Amino acid sequence: MAEMDPGTLITLVTILMSGIGILLGTLVPAIVEGRAVLKALEGMTRQPEVAGQLRTTLLIAMALLESTAIYVLLIILILIFANPLLDRFF
Amino acid sequence: MEGFFPQVVFNIFGIPVRDTVISTWVMMVLIVAVTILVRRRWPAAIEMLVDFLNDTVADVMERPAEPYLPFLGALAIFIAVANVIGVVPFVVSPTRDINTPLALALIVFFSVYYFGIRAKGVAGYFKGMASPIFMLPMEIIGQLSRTLSLTIRLFGNIISTELIVAVIFMLVPLIAPLPLIGFSMFTGLLQAYIFTVLATVYIGSGMEAGEQ
Repeated sequence: MAEMDPGTLITLVTILMSGIGILLGTLVPAIVEGRAVLKALEGMTRQPEVAGQLRTTLLIAMALLESTAIYVLLIILILIFANPLLDRFF
Repeated sequence: MEGFFPQVVFNIFGIPVRDTVISTWVMMVLIVAVTILVRRRWPAAIEMLVDFLNDTVADVMERPAEPYLPFLGALAIFIAVANVIGVVPFVVSPTRDINTPLALALIVFFSVYYFGIRAKGVAGYFKGMASPIFMLPMEIIGQLSRTLSLTIRLFGNIISTELIVAVIFMLVPLIAPLPLIGFSMFTGLLQAYIFTVLATVYIGSGMEAGEQ
């Protein structure tokens, strides 16, 4: 491990952190979106007359929730395809 | 992977032009041509589209949609076509380049001010924005961050689905990418809807701020 040159080390850490990051960054929004859909479906079955309004609100809320996962994806795309550390040092 | 990200094709007076810009121009001509053709042959189709957009905007905004429909409808049609046109071979979707979503989000950012000032006047609008005065920085940060999130949401969704298609295409080039291409078209249409609805919500909240 001590003999590893810095470029390889940075690449290794980047790949590891990308895997961990995409795992956590998609797990949490997926669970929260599932809860949102669950609650919206409960509301729709209880009051079918407001189903249209609920659907619009659900779509907006899911878009806002999903943007957290998209932020994680963007950071990981930057890390993999345009890593600033690799550009600076090598 | 080299050809995946937008490439500079040529320069006009020292300004680099990317392939996404060229496909935007082609797309604009295409939209206008198809609209003229469809209006001549099947006017009912245009009517259905306008009705759908009108109902969506009016439902979300809870007021008559006529003053905002030209802007929001153009936004919806442009983004929907831009997201879906990427499935045509040798055509890149304009929203794959982050500059296109950023330009659209900046248009939404300034249109919030335009419609807000038109509804309440300059003094009324900025008074409504700073109704308790300490909320002014929060309001400004909120407006900037939601512009950023509009950009990132559209760009991230499009580039992620197209990356998945590209990776699967490298591994199994024959039948396997087809369902994913269908999924990417669905995502594109959904993102166009979401972008339009969010722009409607922002414009509506800009006109209502401090109205109570």
